[in-house]
Amino acid sequence: MSGEVIVFLLLSSTAILGGILMLNLKKVIHMLLAVVLTFLSLAGLYVMLSAEFVAAVQILIYSGAVTIVMIFGIMLTKHQAKEEKNKNPLRTTLVGLGIVVFFVTIYLAIRNLYFGQEATALHVNNTEQIGIKIFSYYVIPFELVSIVLLVALMGAVVLAKGEEGDEK
Amino acid sequence: MIDYAWLVPVIPFLSFFILILFRTKMQKTSGLVATIFSGLTLIYAIVIFGQLIKRQTYLAEWQWLTIGTVDISFGVLLNPLNGLMLLLVAFVSFLIHLYSIGYMDGDKRTSVFFAYLGLFTAAMLGLVMSPNLLQFYMFWELVGLGSFLLIGFYFYKNSAKKAAKKAFIMTRIGDMGLLIGLILLFWQTNSFRFADISEVILAGQMESGMITLIAILILIGAIGKSGQFPLHTWLPDAMEGPTPVSALIHAATMVAAGIYLIAVMYPLYMASNVALAIVASVGAFTALYAATIGLVQDDIKQVLAYSTISQLGYMLLAMGVLGYTAGIFHLFTHAFFKALLFLAAGAVIHAVHTQNIKQMGGLSKKMKVTSVTFLIGALAISGFPLLSGFFSKEEILAAVWANGQYGLFVIAILAAFLTSLYMFRLFFLVFEGESKKTIDKIQPTPITMKIPMIVLAFFAIFSGYLNTSWFETYLADWLASGATFLSTHHHETPLWLFFVTILLSVGGIVLAYFIYGKKRINQEDWKSSFPGVHTLLKNKYYIDEFYQLTFVKATNAIGTFFTYVEKYIIQLCMTFVKDVVQSLSKTGTKTQTGQTQTYGAVAFLGLVLIVAFYVLKGGY
Amino acid sequence: MSSVPLQAYLIVALILFCIGLFGALTKRNTIIVLICIELMLNAVNLNLVAFSKFGASANITGQVFSLFTITIAAAEVAVGMAILIAFYRNKRTVNIDEMNTLKE
Repeated sequence: MSGEVIVFLLLSSTAILGGILMLNLKKVIHMLLAVVLTFLSLAGLYVMLSAEFVAAVQILIYSGAVTIVMIFGIMLTKHQAKEEKNKNPLRTTLVGLGIVVFFVTIYLAIRNLYFGQEATALHVNNTEQIGIKIFSYYVIPFELVSIVLLVALMGAVVLAKGEEGDEK
Repeated sequence: MIDYAWLVPVIPFLSFFILILFRTKMQKTSGLVATIFSGLTLIYAIVIFGQLIKRQTYLAEWQWLTIGTVDISFGVLLNPLNGLMLLLVAFVSFLIHLYSIGYMDGDKRTSVFFAYLGLFTAAMLGLVMSPNLLQFYMFWELVGLGSFLLIGFYFYKNSAKKAAKKAFIMTRIGDMGLLIGLILLFWQTNSFRFADISEVILAGQMESGMITLIAILILIGAIGKSGQFPLHTWLPDAMEGPTPVSALIHAATMVAAGIYLIAVMYPLYMASNVALAIVASVGAFTALYAATIGLVQDDIKQVLAYSTISQLGYMLLAMGVLGYTAGIFHLFTHAFFKALLFLAAGAVIHAVHTQNIKQMGGLSKKMKVTSVTFLIGALAISGFPLLSGFFSKEEILAAVWANGQYGLFVIAILAAFLTSLYMFRLFFLVFEGESKKTIDKIQPTPITMKIPMIVLAFFAIFSGYLNTSWFETYLADWLASGATFLSTHHHETPLWLFFVTILLSVGGIVLAYFIYGKKRINQEDWKSSFPGVHTLLKNKYYIDEFYQLTFVKATNAIGTFFTYVEKYIIQLCMTFVKDVVQSLSKTGTKTQTGQTQTYGAVAFLGLVLIVAFYVLKGGY
Repeated sequence: MSSVPLQAYLIVALILFCIGLFGALTKRNTIIVLICIELMLNAVNLNLVAFSKFGASANITGQVFSLFTITIAAAEVAVGMAILIAFYRNKRTVNIDEMNTLKE
C-alpha cells in the first residue's frame, strides 16, 4: 500500500465522516462544523488530483466565505436552532430506499469506468495554466459569471434589507 | 392580355370585397360601382375571347399542393367551351347588374346585394375557367353559396329563409354525388386535371363499370345544380330571391353549370352508353314533367322557373343523345331569352307589386317595352321560326332523331308543344285581356331596367344565327374544334323536322290564344273534366309533400331517436366520466401539499425508477 | 502514474452526493437543506476535478469549470441566505415545512 493510497483513504473517510456527522448531529451549528470538515478534506483530495489552485479556492470560499455566511444566517434566525424530529417517516424511508437504489445503479455504472489516460502536467504551474485557460478561452463565461455574482449581490441585499417600514 | 386571364374572376371579387367592406357608406353608389366593375369584367372577357378565337386554347397552371407523387395545381384553362361560358357569364352578369340598379332602388341593403352579386359572378367565372376537377368543385360550392345568400336575401321573410335552406340542402345532395365521383375519379386516374382524365378514359384504361358509376355520380351533381328531376324542387322555391337573381343565377348561369359539368366531363359519358341513356332519360323526363307543371302555375316566376327546369332538361337530353354542340348551343341561347323573360317578369312585378298572373292583365298598353321584349322572349323559347330558340331546339330534336331515340323524340316534341302553350298562357294572361281593378297604379320602369331587356331581346332574336345550317355553323364548329374527343358527325336536319318544330310552336301559341286570349275554349270545362290531373299538376305532383313525408319525417325521426340516445346514454357516460375525473382530481389536490421537499422526493424517486429500469434492462 | 484509480474518487463523490441528497430531501431546517445542497455541489466538483486528471480528454478545463461552479455556488448561498432571512422576518421560523405557499 503506497503512501498515496493511505492519504486518499484518510481524506476520503474524513470527508464521508463529516457528511454522516452532518446528518446525525442535533445542533445546527454543529452540523455546519461537520460540513466544514468535509470541505477541508475535499480540498486535500483536490491537491491529490494536482488541482492546487482549486484546493485553495475551496478552502477560501467554502470553508471560509460560505460557512461564515451560514453562521450569520443561523445567528440572525434562531441561535439555539436544533434539528427537530422528522414528522414524515414514510417520506424519509422512501427517500432512503430511493437513495440506496440510486447509489447501487450509479455504482454499477462507474464501477468499471476507465479512460486509460492521465494528465501528467497539471501540477506544473497549475495557477498559470488555469489563468491562461480562463483568459484566452473562457473570457466570456468569466465575464458572465462576474455579472451573475453582481446580480446575486444586489439580489441578496434587496431581499435581506426588507420592505420599507419594517420594524427592523 | 390572355396571360392575365386569372384576373377575370378577381375583378368581381374585388367588387364584392369593396362593397362588403364599405357597405354602409356605399349604399347609394354601390350599384354604380358594382356595374362598373362588372363592365370591366365584361370588357376583359371580350378581349380574352377575341384572343382565344385565334389561339383556340390557353392553359396556365400553378402548383398548389404536392401529396406524395401527385401534384395538385390550380390555374386557368380556356378552350372554346370555357371561353363561350366566360363570355356568356360576364355578359349576362353585366346586364343584370345594370338592371338591378333600377330594380333594387330603395332597398336598404343594396350594397350587400351587389356585393353578393359580385361574389357569385367571381365564383361562376372561376368555375368556368377551372382546369381541374378539384378547383372546379371549390368554385362549384362557392356558386352554391352565392346562390344561397341571394335566395335568402330577404331573410326577414320566412319563406325566403326556408327556400334558401332548401336550395342549399337539395344541391348538397347532388354535391355529395359529385364529390364521391370526383374522389373515385382521382383514385382511378391519379389526377384531377380534365386533360389527364380524358386521356385516361380515351386510352381505355378504366373499367367500363367504373366509368358508368362515376358518370352517374357526377350526373347526380349536375342534377342537383341544374334542378333536374328528382332534385328539382329547390329551383321553384328559389324564386323567393330578388328577380334579377332569378334571372342571373337560376336561369342563365348557375343552373347551367350542371350542363357545363356534363360537357367538360363528356369523354366520360361518351365511354358509357348506360350513362348516356340515363342522362337522356332524366333530361327528357324532366323536360316534359316540368312543362306540365308550368301549365297550371299562377305565379309568374314559378312558371318561368318550371320553364327553366324544362329547358335544362332539354339540354341534358341533348347531351345524352350525343348532341354536345346542340346542348351547349341551347344553353347559350337559353341564357339570353330566359334572362330576358325573367327581367321582363321582374319589370312587371316591379310595376304592379304582385306575382299572381290572375291579378294581372292588359299590361301591354301600359308597359310597351316590357310587353314587346317579353313577347320576343316567349317567341324565342317557344321556338318560333327565325328566333334563336327555334334553331337551338331544332338542333336538339335533330340530335335526338339522329340518335334513333324515337321514344325520347316524342317526349321532346310534346314538351316543346307544352312550352309554347304555357309561355303564351303567361303572355296572354299578363299582357292581354282586360286590366284588373286590383292594379291601379303602375310604377314606371326605369331606363336602367329597359336597356338590359332591349339588349337581351336583340340577342334572343339573333344569337341563333351563330349556328344554323342555313348559313354557317360557326358555333358548333368552334366548339367541336375544342372538343377533340367528339367524333364530328354533323347530321343533316331532315326537312320535315323544320315543319314539325314550326307546327309545334305555332300550334301551342294558337291553342293558348284560343284558351286564354279569346277565351273561345273554356278553361273551367277542362278543369272540371279532369279534376284529378289539374290538382296533381297544381300541386307539382306532390313531390314536395312526398319528400316532406319520407325524407324529412325520417330524418326527424332519426334526429329524435338520437336526441334520446344523447340524453340517456351519452350523457350518462359523460356524467360517469365527469364524476370519475372529479373524484380523481379531488384526491390529486390532496397530494399538493406545497412541501418542496415532497415534490423533490417524488421527482427524485421517479428518476431513480427510470435509471433502475435502464440498469435492469442492461442499457447504459 | 497515480496509484489511486478514477473510480475511487467517483465513489467518494457518489457517497457525498447521496448524503447531500438525503439531507436535502429529509432535513427540516432550511439552513441545513442549503448546506446539503452545497455538499452535493461539492461532490460534483470533485467529479469535475477527477475527470480533469483522468478523463477521456484529460486537461485543465475540468479545473476551470469547477472554479465556475464554486463561484455560482457562492452566489447561490448568498441569495439563499437572503431569502431565508426575508422568510424568517415574515414567519419567525426557518422550518421548511412552513414553506408551503406553493399550493396556493
